[in-house]
Amino acid sequence: MRLTTMALALALALGYGLSAQAASDKPAAPPDDLDALSLADKASEASTQPARPWRLFVEGAVGRGRLRGTDPSFGIYRGSIDFRFDDHIAPQLRAVFSDRLDAVDSDGIPPGDNVNTVREAYLSWARTDHQIFDLGRVNIRNGAAMGFNPTDWFKANALRAIVDPDPAVLRENRQGTVVLQAQQLWSEASLTATISPRLARSADSATFALNVGATNPSNRYLVAGSYKFSDKFNPQLLVFGGNDDPAQVGFNLSTLLGDAVVAFGEFTAGRGTTLVAQALALPEANSNQQRAAVGLTYTTGFNLSLTAEAEYNSAAPSGDQWHLLPASTQQQVLATAQALQDLPTRSQWFLYANWKDLMVRRFDVSAFLRQDMQTSSRAFWLEGRYAWDRAELALQWQVFSGSEGTVYYAVPQQQTVQVVLRVYL
Amino acid sequence: MFAAFVHAAPDPQAVLADSDAVRNPAKPFGVTVTLIEYRSSKQTESNTLAIYSKADSASGQYRSLIRFVAPERDANKLMLKNGNDLWFYDPSSQASIRLSPQQRLLGQASNGDVVTVNLAKDYKAELLGEEDTADGERVMRRAYKLGLAAVSPDVTYHRVEMWVDAANSRPIKARFFAESGHLLKTAYYRKYQPQLGRERPTEVVIIDGLDPSWVTVLRYSDYAWRDVPDAWLQRDYLPRFKPG
Repeated sequence: MRLTTMALALALALGYGLSAQAASDKPAAPPDDLDALSLADKASEASTQPARPWRLFVEGAVGRGRLRGTDPSFGIYRGSIDFRFDDHIAPQLRAVFSDRLDAVDSDGIPPGDNVNTVREAYLSWARTDHQIFDLGRVNIRNGAAMGFNPTDWFKANALRAIVDPDPAVLRENRQGTVVLQAQQLWSEASLTATISPRLARSADSATFALNVGATNPSNRYLVAGSYKFSDKFNPQLLVFGGNDDPAQVGFNLSTLLGDAVVAFGEFTAGRGTTLVAQALALPEANSNQQRAAVGLTYTTGFNLSLTAEAEYNSAAPSGDQWHLLPASTQQQVLATAQALQDLPTRSQWFLYANWKDLMVRRFDVSAFLRQDMQTSSRAFWLEGRYAWDRAELALQWQVFSGSEGTVYYAVPQQQTVQVVLRVYL
Repeated sequence: MFAAFVHAAPDPQAVLADSDAVRNPAKPFGVTVTLIEYRSSKQTESNTLAIYSKADSASGQYRSLIRFVAPERDANKLMLKNGNDLWFYDPSSQASIRLSPQQRLLGQASNGDVVTVNLAKDYKAELLGEEDTADGERVMRRAYKLGLAAVSPDVTYHRVEMWVDAANSRPIKARFFAESGHLLKTAYYRKYQPQLGRERPTEVVIIDGLDPSWVTVLRYSDYAWRDVPDAWLQRDYLPRFKPG
């Protein structure tokens, strides 16, 4: 062995020269490695710039859609400005401001409108590394699931304009809630207490309205605690309630199964009224309600992630109950579910796929299918998106299908196709 | 008398631990990593990350908070890595999402490639021999060739071959293998410079095992000692992580 090593060393020495200089003439690494190292030698030495505390982009969209009915075709034209600032303005004091203006022109349903969404505007004071206080409008988002988040209570009435149905985008493009919030952190645990006061009773649809009537319609509270029992077991327990909201208990958990699968689940329980009663403003006694979402995300070796999620809402109508509702009431229930970001019927499947760098680098394809299990109807969305360093181009297609009387048949649009261009400034 | 001339075989686990110490500062630190990716000699992607790392007092393994600096569309997104416990946080949607190790955010480089890893904690080292090998600067070095076998099922690579400079314990190069035995990637550690108290590699060149024209260059800069409290290294701190 020793002899072999010496012989190899001698051969290398003879072949490539004994000195470092000689080695650079005839190097002793595999040719592919040498090519790679030569390439790395030529890589630019550009200095690294710190991340900017702000982000600004403009977005334009052009599309066509088809409504159910006799004169179905309509156009969509949209221009948007999206701004976010997040930085320290003094030692231990952080300011966050996030805003988006959407100008939509459409002859479809809903018609175009100009809507400004103040997503976040708050100050965050870190008294210590372990104790932080927030004051202002904060997008408080909880939940381990992807398509339906029962523990994300502040999602209700948070959407002002829906320009993209991707669940991740819906979580981003929404109004936060005006709160006073405190968080205490330990090495393995966190406890957050949030108070969201009543600021107005009704929503305000004016273009630049702060719309606190939608986000702060009553006095509410949220307490969220988590403890990291192990790397794989870090559950979160939540309690939510308020003047108009009976106490709800929530639970979030996600864990790793092998090196390619993440399992997640969230669950809430508490008293409340049915979705139909909320949609029709019917007087109804509270009863026990449960909401849940459980699922798995599997990632392949070629960067395709597939998620399957089962969703349940005891407050929503079953298939039989849905079919008994008049068509106009079905639309009201669907609109209420959309505003509350709640499930419109008792159970759904949500399937989501995301394939990064499909065929070519920087080209991602995403798709989801919402399959309503009560009325056998579905919503489908597909997006292809290519990213340059400072711009993105996307093609989006959305379809609502199902027979007459089903949940997604109640959506006025049958399908839409749009091209979206985003430019970062 | 004769025994004095026999070259004493080094303890391979100690060699590996020494080479870990060359790459990894002993105290909590911050570093900026720039990844430049090439396909067929053309640059296809570039990312910049700011990383804060701290060794776990119990396991000895590093835990890292990673902030995306560039490109613009990813700026200020965060990743928390503690072994296979991986969380991704997007400040826009305030969502903390658990990732599986298979979910790659950075092209060819696995999430584990960009952060500090103490190989001696996860692998059992065996001395395969002592040989001359060309380093990342094409300079011949006398090296210990180590064979590393995973002792934990949670590691990214099933088996590793590593060449460590016999003179100074610097890692020279490593070849990473899948459980099936096929070569996943080769890494060269190079451009040694004084950083945080000793000479450390400031560049790693990663070559794909199947497609050698797929190359990623990792550049390490802005090394600094950083205070990284344990409370930062958990999911619920991610929305708060905003180093000044």
